[in-house]
Amino acid sequence: MRSPAAAIAWEFRWRHRVGLTALAAYFAVMALIKVVVLRGERVDFRSDETFALSVVVPLTATIIYFVAVFTFGLSGDLAARQSMYPARMFALPVTTAALAGWPMLYGSAAMALLWFATRLLGAWPSGVAVPVIWPALLAASFLAWAQALTWMPYPLPGLRVVVMMLWLVTIDAVVMIALNLRASEGTMLALLAPLGPLAYLTARVAVGRARRGDVPDWRGAFARFRADVLPRPRDHFSSAARAQTWLEWRQHGWSLPALVGSVLPFELALLFLFREAPGIVFEVLVAALLTPSLMSAFVAATVRRPQTTTDSYGLTPFLAARPLTNAALIAAKLKATIRSALAAWLLVAVAVPVALRLSGTAPMVIDWMRRYVEFAGRPRAIAAALLVLLALLASTWKQLVQSLYVGMSGRSWLVKASVFAALAFLVVAPPLAQWIVSSRALIAALWNALPWIAAVLVCIKLSAAVWIAMRLRDAGVFGDGALLAAAACWDVAVFALYGVLMWLLPALLVRPYFIVLIAILAVPLVRVSAAPLALAWNRHR
Amino acid sequence: MSEPVIHIAGLTRRFGGKTALAAVGLSMPRGAVYGLVGANGAGKTTLIRHILGLLRAESGTVRVFGLDPVAEPVAVLSRIGYLSEENDLPGWMRVDELIRYSRAFYPAWDDAYAEELMRAFALDGAAKIRSLSKGQKARAGLLIALAHRPPLLVLDEPSSGLDPIVRRDILGAVMRTIADEGRTVLFSSHLLEEVEQVADHVTMISNGTIVLSAPLDDIRESHRVAGRVPSLNEIFVTHAGAT
Repeated sequence: MRSPAAAIAWEFRWRHRVGLTALAAYFAVMALIKVVVLRGERVDFRSDETFALSVVVPLTATIIYFVAVFTFGLSGDLAARQSMYPARMFALPVTTAALAGWPMLYGSAAMALLWFATRLLGAWPSGVAVPVIWPALLAASFLAWAQALTWMPYPLPGLRVVVMMLWLVTIDAVVMIALNLRASEGTMLALLAPLGPLAYLTARVAVGRARRGDVPDWRGAFARFRADVLPRPRDHFSSAARAQTWLEWRQHGWSLPALVGSVLPFELALLFLFREAPGIVFEVLVAALLTPSLMSAFVAATVRRPQTTTDSYGLTPFLAARPLTNAALIAAKLKATIRSALAAWLLVAVAVPVALRLSGTAPMVIDWMRRYVEFAGRPRAIAAALLVLLALLASTWKQLVQSLYVGMSGRSWLVKASVFAALAFLVVAPPLAQWIVSSRALIAALWNALPWIAAVLVCIKLSAAVWIAMRLRDAGVFGDGALLAAAACWDVAVFALYGVLMWLLPALLVRPYFIVLIAILAVPLVRVSAAPLALAWNRHR
Repeated sequence: MSEPVIHIAGLTRRFGGKTALAAVGLSMPRGAVYGLVGANGAGKTTLIRHILGLLRAESGTVRVFGLDPVAEPVAVLSRIGYLSEENDLPGWMRVDELIRYSRAFYPAWDDAYAEELMRAFALDGAAKIRSLSKGQKARAGLLIALAHRPPLLVLDEPSSGLDPIVRRDILGAVMRTIADEGRTVLFSSHLLEEVEQVADHVTMISNGTIVLSAPLDDIRESHRVAGRVPSLNEIFVTHAGAT
């Protein structure tokens, strides 16, 4: 290796050799099918589902993988203020232009090649006129901007996610509008051509600032606000558990409310723009109510880290040597996440009515609610509304804590495997759902099999719970009394949910035994209770 | 004779194919300063991590105050003051927040002593940990390790980041004070001159094996050659080189 360019390329190739080999193998198989089986003839995708499974799913999965690889996103903290560019590379005797330029060049080339390969193997020759150049340019620009925005230091935690979402969606939206207006290939190229150089200039500034340690900090303003407005903290914590909860809250607690607070104004602004369109008002309301739950999926990646001071998932000696039990350390995390979810929902609960009132859409929404009350009856309508809100709140918290056991294990291979599994599920689920929906016979069969599927899932869940409970007792994390108390609380939650669902849902539509299964599956048990066990595995290696 | 503060028997630990500790046995009665010396990678930090319960004994036993530190972390860790070599204090905390947070874990926390240490170490309570120099971070870590007057103080490479004057004056004074009060100090270092200044008892470790463990005076006396007492450096080279 005689140049920085070769060294940086080697690092990408070596660190991700397994994924890249798998990708190369996939394309080799596709090429083999194309050449040997189809003999280069036109590919006939018999349905949208076949097209999705053969082309769209692998393409999307690979784009997500490339974005994660070339932004160095697999080893950084997306919600942190600091740049995600690896700090170890700042000390290399290489110019900032090279540090920003080479990964961007490799990433852009990989994205363009991905498009060309997909175009060649999957969609050519086909009956549809698929453009060649501009999608490659779009893919490369998309990655370049993802890199620039990922490497940029931000003044507030969580701001990176907001800026990336807004800017990348804007690029996509502009392209979609141009396509709807039937823009020519030349117009598309002219539209996309400046994006790459602009992304490079932004990335160069971003890496330069990160290299100088120039991380703007606006938290002081919030700290001053807290000091002026909020009550002063007491001199001492009344217990070690409270001190640990404070630490967890300060480390991760503000991220979710801050993210929700950043996104909500943009969403609710649409109420002012489309106040005459009931459909859009309804969609905006749904989006606003789903925001905490969606944002918590991003924040969960930070929450599940034992600490924010290092990139490693292993416990730092500072935390590991706290004289607290593993159960108490996890309890502190759970309490902080409950506060975090409540704070995020408090924002929604305040902002949505205010926005409805100010935008003049409140009467429209009140009318919808009145009609629903007339349809369902007042007690049922109130119970259903409360249940939905409770479910959304619980879903927000569940998102924050359901992968806690993965992060607490301290094993980076487990973290990476879980990310890969989640991405694979996200990629496979939509076409699979579409495939199921397209067949009435399949829907009927699935509907009939639903109780059996639920019963199997319940068996798996309860077996896993028993195994975890035994391990928790054997490891001395919980005693018999604590385990029995936790089981009793879980039972009460399941029966309460069962009672409400039985009252709300017509007995003719859903059988009582099925509602029991649903209630058992809905109340969190296994993954949350696995967290202390994972922490013990991490803390006492 | 009172029960030893630390009792280790037949402790073996492997990381993959590398044996980090091989059948280590050690017993430390209370009330002295123990120096754990060895080259980088000899197994000092691995041994300390077993004492703290951060590593589980693959074979052999570790007892601290007669307790298993893995099975009873709260009972053991609440009686230990620990300074890590990693400077891993949360950078986002202010010094006064670090003190406020740490005091909640130790019922015996001495506010007056913490205040005295803060002045002695010239620490600014309003300063963020991340803005402190390496030496100041070590002082902050030392403060929270000392302020609850622990029966056992474990210092893992405490000298790193401290300038020679601070090392000699502060660390030496702290160790003597604690030892005089009947408390026990275990500190690891690869700087043997430093160990020679403050330790009562020296344990040498090389390639995961204890090659020598005895009171410092006995070690010096037993290695006297033609009336000349060799330095700890020379003694270490003799023993570590032989393994």
